[in-house]
Amino acid sequence: MATDQAKMIEKSFQLPDLGEGLTDAEILRWHVAVGDPVILNQVIAEVETAKAAVELPSPYAGRVRKLLVDAGTTVAVGTPIITFAVESATGDQAAREQADQERQVPQEREAGEREAGEREAGEREAGEREPEEQGPEEQAGGERVPVLVGYGATAGTSSRRGTRPRPVPASPSFSPIPTRPLAKPLVRKLARELEVDLAQVPGTGTGGIVTRQDLLEHCARRNTGTPATASTEPSIRPSTEREERIPIHGVRRATAAAMVASAFTAPHVTEFITVDVTATMDLIRRLRGSAFLDGVKLTILPFVATALIQALRHAPGLNSCWDEAAQEIVIKRYVNLGIATATPRGLLVPNLKDAERLGLIELARSLNNLTETARAGRCTPTDLTGGTISITNVGVFGVDCGTPILNPGEAAILCLGAVREQPWVHKGQLAVRWVTTLSLSFDHRLVDGELGSRFLADIASTLTTG
Amino acid sequence: MSQFSAAIPLVQLVDPTGKRVSDGTSGIETSGIEAPGIETSGIETSGIETSGIETSGIETSGIETSGIETSGIETSGIETSGIEMFRALVADVGPEKLRELYRDLVVVRRIDTEATALQRQGQVGLWAPLLGQEAAQVGSAHALTEADYVFPSYREHGVAYCRGADPQALLRQWRGSAPSSWTPSEIGMAVPAIVVGAQALHATGYALGMKLDDAGGAVIAYFGDGATSQGDVAEAFTFAASWQVPVVFFCQNNQWAISEPVRVQSQVPLGERAAGFGIPGLRVDGNDVLAVLAVTRFALRQARAGGGPILIEALTYRMGPHTTSDDPSRYRSPAELDQWRARDPIDRIRLLLEREGALDDGQAGAVTRAADEVAGALRAGCLQTPDPAPEDLFEHVYTDPHPLIHQQRAALLAHLATLEGHQR
Amino acid sequence: MTTMTLSQAINSGLRRALEDDPKVLLLGEDIGRLGGVFRVTAGLQKDFGDRRVIDTPLAESGIVGTAIGLAMRGYRPVCEIQFDGFVYPAFDQIVSQVAKLHYRTRGHVRMPLTIRIPFGGGIGAVEHHSESPESYFAHTAGLRVVSCSNSAEAYLMIQQAIASDDPVLFFEPKRRYWDKSEVDENIGLDSWPLHQARILRTGTDATVVAYGPLIATALAAATVAEQEGNSLEIIDLRSISPIDFDTIETSVRKTGRLVVAHEAPVSFGPGAELAARITERCFYHLHAPVLRVGGYDTPYPPAKLEEFYLPGVDRILDAVDQTLVEP
Repeated sequence: MATDQAKMIEKSFQLPDLGEGLTDAEILRWHVAVGDPVILNQVIAEVETAKAAVELPSPYAGRVRKLLVDAGTTVAVGTPIITFAVESATGDQAAREQADQERQVPQEREAGEREAGEREAGEREAGEREPEEQGPEEQAGGERVPVLVGYGATAGTSSRRGTRPRPVPASPSFSPIPTRPLAKPLVRKLARELEVDLAQVPGTGTGGIVTRQDLLEHCARRNTGTPATASTEPSIRPSTEREERIPIHGVRRATAAAMVASAFTAPHVTEFITVDVTATMDLIRRLRGSAFLDGVKLTILPFVATALIQALRHAPGLNSCWDEAAQEIVIKRYVNLGIATATPRGLLVPNLKDAERLGLIELARSLNNLTETARAGRCTPTDLTGGTISITNVGVFGVDCGTPILNPGEAAILCLGAVREQPWVHKGQLAVRWVTTLSLSFDHRLVDGELGSRFLADIASTLTTG
Repeated sequence: MSQFSAAIPLVQLVDPTGKRVSDGTSGIETSGIEAPGIETSGIETSGIETSGIETSGIETSGIETSGIETSGIETSGIETSGIEMFRALVADVGPEKLRELYRDLVVVRRIDTEATALQRQGQVGLWAPLLGQEAAQVGSAHALTEADYVFPSYREHGVAYCRGADPQALLRQWRGSAPSSWTPSEIGMAVPAIVVGAQALHATGYALGMKLDDAGGAVIAYFGDGATSQGDVAEAFTFAASWQVPVVFFCQNNQWAISEPVRVQSQVPLGERAAGFGIPGLRVDGNDVLAVLAVTRFALRQARAGGGPILIEALTYRMGPHTTSDDPSRYRSPAELDQWRARDPIDRIRLLLEREGALDDGQAGAVTRAADEVAGALRAGCLQTPDPAPEDLFEHVYTDPHPLIHQQRAALLAHLATLEGHQR
Repeated sequence: MTTMTLSQAINSGLRRALEDDPKVLLLGEDIGRLGGVFRVTAGLQKDFGDRRVIDTPLAESGIVGTAIGLAMRGYRPVCEIQFDGFVYPAFDQIVSQVAKLHYRTRGHVRMPLTIRIPFGGGIGAVEHHSESPESYFAHTAGLRVVSCSNSAEAYLMIQQAIASDDPVLFFEPKRRYWDKSEVDENIGLDSWPLHQARILRTGTDATVVAYGPLIATALAAATVAEQEGNSLEIIDLRSISPIDFDTIETSVRKTGRLVVAHEAPVSFGPGAELAARITERCFYHLHAPVLRVGGYDTPYPPAKLEEFYLPGVDRILDAVDQTLVEP
């Protein structure tokens, strides 16, 4: 029932999309004037679209308040064209009652073929939603206007985007099958170029993915010689009379990084043994000049290498590495023997692959070649990676012994000191013998004292007997 | 070629002035009335066989075209004209039932007008008006029983209303809020077919199911003149005839398929097309609700009784546009509209009721009120249709769970949750 | 266990379905008296009558369209399209109607149809008898698409397809119709989900996924590969829509390499979907790009060129070799 004090409110009508994607229309003529009473569906205007001339029926009953557009004007779909003064009571009351009723009766949500187990929690009844297209509603200031219904292109809606979270990279979220290393194709390609076995490289990406950074740092630890962290910023501070500033880059940077990585990861223990190597030196003297040598310069180094390789047979734990990522100790069944070499560019540790397969002379030749190559700066990435155990020779400098730092990724490093004639007790008598000190550093996670000691003693014993 | 002079005469029981067609004449006075591209060279009124339906003597295995029995009506022995048989089929339509028909006609037109207005008001995206075709739809719908089933095209809003579709929900599909506006099992009517003619095959299959069930019902398939060109309709005729299933093919020939006149579709009156398939054809004045009722009753009873498929061509006119996106003034003349306005189906029945003193002011007022009520429900239901939720996109694609649906629904909801201003 | 051909296995499966559910109907051209051009429906009309095994007029759209009406009436129709290349007249009824009626009616109407289609080449046929149209249907929401590869799978899967309340396009590899193998006729319909892939042979070096007629080819390729020192994991996809990505993923995480083989043309074929999604999901496990072996982007050729068109053992192994090469 309309009340006597029915409130009059203003409603606006926007030009609708009159036919499947039309974007505008021309108001040909108005059929009503300001102040005219109108009934629902009464023709208020004639408009022409690209497709047809159509009559517009009034969406309200009330009185025309304003004609917002002149006849003869073309307006875009969605433009308000006319306003009405409408009684608020009856129509909206009924509308609201209807809406309330609909809230109680689920309409679109007939239960039934719901796919159980696929619905997220929070199934909603249709009625809980605020129907957005109830038709015009009164509001104090702004109006809720009829939303366009039409197929085809709507005018570009303004973006509602707020800050969106960065997309999470598709992490391989699965129960891992740790048989193969994970890496994206570019990284695999790089690994191939660097001749690195990805399985050796600990991955820091989600789920253990080996990233490019991981690969390069791994190579740096291997003394690749390529500036892994490629920055070559020049020093911004000049040398002065009291100080010399040398930029840290290249091999030195890589070496330093490797040293640090090694020193502060593996618990180092160093043991020393002083050895009577007279028999070996006699052997060297006898072999020198022999055709058997085939021109290879012979030093004690290949003998030490041979002794070391032999000793590894009974102590394979010294030819292993600690795989933190996989939580495994990897015992290598091959010996890639590294030789620490001083080169004009700095300290490099190229390694001889599968050294255990080489005989003494071959070993000698190969070691000579290796060190020559290193000094000439012609080491390949392969030469510089993949080592399993190393030897460092401080004896060439006349130094007796040292506490060598492990090559990262290895379990042991043997330091060969100077070979000197020294007083020694030989067969119960004081004698002058060729004597040297061997220093063995090992990674105490991988090698315990007994193992390390026996290994060292083994080497010594071989060299003593010759 | 004339739509009006044809091997199969047009059944008419009430003429456009509201006068019942008398015994002496049958057929239609067509002088002066032109349908586009159609000559009106008069109607042959003699030659209507009384021994049932003339189907140009086509016999196919199992189909007898003489002595077709309809319940309670013996066709042999009717001497005067075939019209008499059809008149007898609506002998039960007294003043009250006639007023009922009239009321439904008025309401259906009002639904159509209101829906068109709602489209012009931006509340509905598209509407296919049935203006002018009310009698074809109401008359045929009134011949249906609960046991029957309907396969419509996209314009049978009148049939849907008569079958009990809820006016409040009727516009949901056209508003784009839901893929359809009613539940088939609730009103015995499939949802609208937008693909022209596809439903004729569905109807045929459904009718086969009814036959296998020995259900006793029949199927009615509605389609327009344009649809008769579609391969699927020809296939439906083929299958229906081969299987002899209880389906009535009801073609509303409203003369236009968007902008193409019916002569583009067919070189013979549409009612004659089924003969080539071995299916009897009937033709009826589609704007005469009583004739439509009679003819449809005949066809349905025959079908239900195991008489096989039958085609009805209801000659009518699409007074409005193809849809609210169409402008018919671009391809047809005002004169033509005027001619068909003179044959308006609602005027005709009102005039008949007035002639027979069967519609007083009070009764007329009740009809108007009924129409207002339904229009109000239509409008209110439309305006208050709740918007579908985004996840409704994924509802009912399959009956059983499907991994992609599950994933994609989750992805959409997750995406929406990142947008400012999105409310759940 | 019974030895039967793939054709016989489908026949047995259809028989079981007809026995178990009185609403199951078969419709198709020549399926009744003749028993089907491949004898797949032999004997069924005799035993179940012409109201359950129905010879239809020659019109594919009509077969599917009337089946839709039957389904709406509560029946469970099984349509046969006589040959793959003749499914196209029914395309509109399949993708516009069968696929969408459940959605269109908000779940009130179900389409529990099965549409059986002999597909694929290798039988020396004329035009339109060797097509692989599965992609068109896999690309249509609302449909399920499967393909059996041997007798046991055929027997199980046809019954599962018929029992499904969703529409299923059931592709039968016609060149394998006469291949014999063992079938357990007492197998339960819940023994293996219809849409789950099956690992037919485990391996470590590369995963090969195929379905339908190429399963036998893939298995032969694996035998040769083994002799060459490569261990292939062979997976029968079985369901082209939906695809069981989980099984494939698990395999590719193990092997790091994937080759997909199908007769359908490579471009826009099911392999493209597999390649895209497996690359998306297994990017960090892949050692090589996913490779596809399939038909060329030409119409299916005349019989004498067929062998060059169809993926065989050699082309599959070429692809495998390519994925194994470390550049």
